[in-house]
Amino acid sequence: MGVRPPAQWSKSLNRWLYIRNKAGRSFFTILFVVVLNFFLFRVLPGDPARQGIRDPRLTQEAIEAIRVRFGLDKPVINCIQTVNPLRFGSCEVNPLETQFFIYVKNLTRGELGISFYYNRPVSDILGERLWNTVLLIGGGQILSIIVGVVFGVMAAWKARTSVDYGALITGLVAWSLPTFWLGIILLFWGSSHGFPIGGKATPGMSSYPFMTQFTDVLWHLVLPTLTYTIVFMGEYMLIMRSSLLDVLSEDYILTAKAKGLSTFQILKDHALKNGMLPLVTIIAINLGFTVGGVIQIESVFSWPGLGGALFEAVSRRDFPILQGGFLLIAISVILANFIADLLYSYLDPRVQIE
Amino acid sequence: MKNKILYLFVVVALILSACGGAGSGQPSVVRIGWASGPDSLNIGVAWLMAAYTISELTYSSMYEFKLDGTLVLDLGTDVSASADGLVYTYKIRNGIKFHDGKPLTAKDVAFTYNLVKAHTDFPTLNSYTEHFASIEAPDDSTVVITLDQPVPNIASKLVFLYILPEHIWKDHSEGDAAAAFENLEMIGSGPFKMLENKPNEFIRLGVNKNYYGQVPKVDEVIFQVFSSSDALVQALKTGQIDMITSVPNTSVASLRTAANVKVVTGAPLSPDLEDIIFNMVDPTNCPTADGGLCTGHPALRDKQVRLAMAYATDKQKIIDIVLLGLGAPGIALIPNGTGEWFNSEIKDYAYDPAKGNKLLDDAGYKDANGDGTRDMPDGSLPLTFRMNWPSSDNAAPRIAELLSEMWKQLGIKLEMQAVESDALTAKCCPALDYDIMIWSWVADPDPNTLLIIPITDSIPTGYNETGYSNPRYDELFKLQGSEMDGSKRLKMVWEMQKIIHDDAPYIIPYYAFAVQAYRTDRFKGWLDSETKLALEDPSSLTIIEPVK
Repeated sequence: MGVRPPAQWSKSLNRWLYIRNKAGRSFFTILFVVVLNFFLFRVLPGDPARQGIRDPRLTQEAIEAIRVRFGLDKPVINCIQTVNPLRFGSCEVNPLETQFFIYVKNLTRGELGISFYYNRPVSDILGERLWNTVLLIGGGQILSIIVGVVFGVMAAWKARTSVDYGALITGLVAWSLPTFWLGIILLFWGSSHGFPIGGKATPGMSSYPFMTQFTDVLWHLVLPTLTYTIVFMGEYMLIMRSSLLDVLSEDYILTAKAKGLSTFQILKDHALKNGMLPLVTIIAINLGFTVGGVIQIESVFSWPGLGGALFEAVSRRDFPILQGGFLLIAISVILANFIADLLYSYLDPRVQIE
Repeated sequence: MKNKILYLFVVVALILSACGGAGSGQPSVVRIGWASGPDSLNIGVAWLMAAYTISELTYSSMYEFKLDGTLVLDLGTDVSASADGLVYTYKIRNGIKFHDGKPLTAKDVAFTYNLVKAHTDFPTLNSYTEHFASIEAPDDSTVVITLDQPVPNIASKLVFLYILPEHIWKDHSEGDAAAAFENLEMIGSGPFKMLENKPNEFIRLGVNKNYYGQVPKVDEVIFQVFSSSDALVQALKTGQIDMITSVPNTSVASLRTAANVKVVTGAPLSPDLEDIIFNMVDPTNCPTADGGLCTGHPALRDKQVRLAMAYATDKQKIIDIVLLGLGAPGIALIPNGTGEWFNSEIKDYAYDPAKGNKLLDDAGYKDANGDGTRDMPDGSLPLTFRMNWPSSDNAAPRIAELLSEMWKQLGIKLEMQAVESDALTAKCCPALDYDIMIWSWVADPDPNTLLIIPITDSIPTGYNETGYSNPRYDELFKLQGSEMDGSKRLKMVWEMQKIIHDDAPYIIPYYAFAVQAYRTDRFKGWLDSETKLALEDPSSLTIIEPVK
C-alpha cells in the first residue's frame, strides 16, 4: 500500500492523537443528541397532560394540575411557548425557568426526570429495563457471534463444497426470517415443550435461593435468546464467509500454503485477523443499536426490556422516558463505535495514519 | 445444523432446570394473565383500570361495587342522611386492621377523603369530592360528611375512594408529595396484601388472614403481564396461567375448543361506550368564546337526516364483523351493564334502509345532479360528510368502513380519516369543527357522568361534542342531580335516555362484551354468570378454591 512504517515514538503519538480525536468527536455527538432529544419529542402531536380527556370526571383544573406537576406549563425555551403547535411566547422569561434548561440542569446532576405515565423516576425504570435487555442481547450476541464465526470460517475454507452451500443457505434463510414470526413459531413450539413464554422470571421466585432464581431466569431466556441467535447468526456467518473468502484469495495466503503451513495455522495466523475487520464493524453497530432492545423479540416474549419501554412511551407521550432512553441508546451506539475504532486500530494499524 | 443447536440448547436448559427444581404443591396460587399492569400503585394518580383492579383487592372502601351494578355498604355498617340531604353520618366496622397491623379507624377514612378533596392533581378521584364541604371523624367509628348541595347516590362518590392509612400517607399528603408518592408497599385493609410488585412483569398478592369479610381460600394471586396476545392465549392453553382478564375476540374460537378452558362473556365492570357522534350544533349555541368554529354540515342539524342514518345502520352486522359477534346492539347513552339505570324499554330503530330513504325523500333531500349523492333541499351542498376517529381506536376504522357502505344506500357519502386523538380533541371539543366522529366515553357506576355530556352547559366545556341542546333534557339533568328519592331519579334517568334516543345526536353501535377465560382444572367457583363479568374482582377471587 506504500505506507512507510513510522518510527516507534511517532507510532504511540499517532495512536494517542487518534484516540483523542475519536473521543472528542464522540463527546460532541452526545451533546448534539442531548439537544435534539429534547426538541424531537416535543414536536410530536399530542399533549401528555390530556391522555384521559374522554373521561367526564377529568376537570379542567385537574388537567392544569398535571401540567404544573410535570412542568409542562412552563415555556419550552425562551420566546417559544410550545413546539407543537408552534406558539411563540415571551422572550423575557428567566431562561432557568424554561423546560429546556430544567432538563439540561437535571441532566448535569444525573437526573432524567419523572415518567409522566409511571410516576416513577426515569432512571429507575430505565435501569431495570437496561439490565434485562443486556441479559437478553448479551447472551444472544455472544452465541450468534460464536456460531456465526465458526460456521462462516468453515464455509469459507470449504468454499464451493456442500458444507459451504449448506451453510450459505442456512445463513441466508436465518438472516431473512422475520424476527417476530420466528419468535411466534418458537413460542408455540416452546410452550408445548414446557418452556416459559412470558416475562423474565417465574413470579414468586424471590424467596428462593439465588441458584434457583438464576436457573429460572436462564430457563426464561431460552426462547428469546434462541430467536435472537438464529437471526443474527445468519448475518455474522454471511459476512465472515465473504470477508474470509476475499482474504483467502490473496497472494500471501498462497505463499503460506506453498510454505507448507497447516490449514489451522493459515487461518489463525494469516487470514482470520484480516477477515475479522468487517465483522468488528457490524458487531459494534449491532451492539450499540440492540441496547434499544429488539422490540419484536421483547414483545413476543413479554420480555421487560428497553425496546418495549420506548415503544410504549411514544404512544403515551412520556417525554422523560423517551429522552432518557434515546440518550442511553445514543451513548451506547457512540461508545460501541468508539470501541470498534480502538479495536480497528489494533487489528489494522494503518487506520491511525490515514 | 439449526436443529443441533436447538437440541443442545434444550438439553442445557433441561439440565439447568433440573438442578433447581422449585418446591411444588403447598400454597395454592392463582395465576392471572393480562396485557398490562397498573401504571401506578398510587391510586390518586393512576389512570388505568388495572390500578383499580389491584386496589379493589388490597383496599377496603365504604361501599362495595357489586356485579349487578349496585353499591352496598362494605366498610360502613350504617348510614343516615339528614332531612335536607346535606349531612351523611356513617358508622364503620370496629376492630379492623391494616396489613401492617395498625388499626383502621374513622380517622383514616376522614383523612383519605380530605386528602382526595385537597388534591386537584388526583385527576380522576378529585371530582368525586366536588360537593364535600367537610369530612370529620368525631370518634373512631363515626364519619360525618357535610355537603354544600344535595348529591344523589353518594355511594357512587365514595366507592372508589379507597381508605388509605393515615400513619403512612400523612408524610406524603402536602403539595406535590401526594402525587409523587409511589406507594410501593400499598398498605390497605382489603382481602389481599401486596407481596411483590415488578412493574411490567407481575404483581404478587398474598391473602390477608385478618380480613373482616370473606377470607380468600387461595394463598396467593399473581397478575402477570403478557405483551403479546398470542403468548397470553397460548399460556392459558398450556396451563402456564389460570385465567385471562381480557381475551382478544379473535382468539375466542380457538379457546372454546381448547381442553379444560372455559370462555365466558358478560357486561364489562366499567364499560367503554362507543358512539357515532353527529355535529348538530345550532349556530346560536356555537361556543365562539371558547374557540368554537361550528363548521358542521347543515344537514346533520336536521333530525330526519340523523334518523334516516339510524334506520340504515345495521348494528348486528357491525357487531358480527367488528366484534366477531361478541356484543349487544347499543341503544341508549347509558350502557346495559349499568344495571337498573339502563332504560330497557326503549325500542331501537329497526334496520330498514328503505324507511331511511323515504325519510330523506320526504324531507326534500334529492339527488339533484344525478351523481349518486343526495343534495340539500336547496341544492347548495351534497350530503357528503367528513368522518373522523382517533387513530388509537382499533374498532373505529372498521365501523367507519361499514357505515360508509350502509349509508351509501341512502345516497350519503363519507370522507373518512383517522386523526391523532389529541388533534381530534382540538377539532371537536369545543371547536365543533367536524361532521361525524366515532369515539368512546368512559362510564362510571353512576349515570350522572354520562348524562352530563349532552346538556347545553357542556357545549363550551367540550364535553357536549354534538352541540345537542334541549331545554327539557337540561331541566331533567338538573332535577335528577338533586333528587334524593331513588325511584323518582331512576324515572328521570330513563326519560333522558329516551329523549336522546329519539333525537339521535348519537348512534350507539353496540355494547361490547367483556370476554374472559379460565382453566376449569385449576380453580372452581368463579362468578361467571352475574350481570357484569369480572373474574379478577374480589367477588370471585375471595371464593374460588383449588380443584382437588
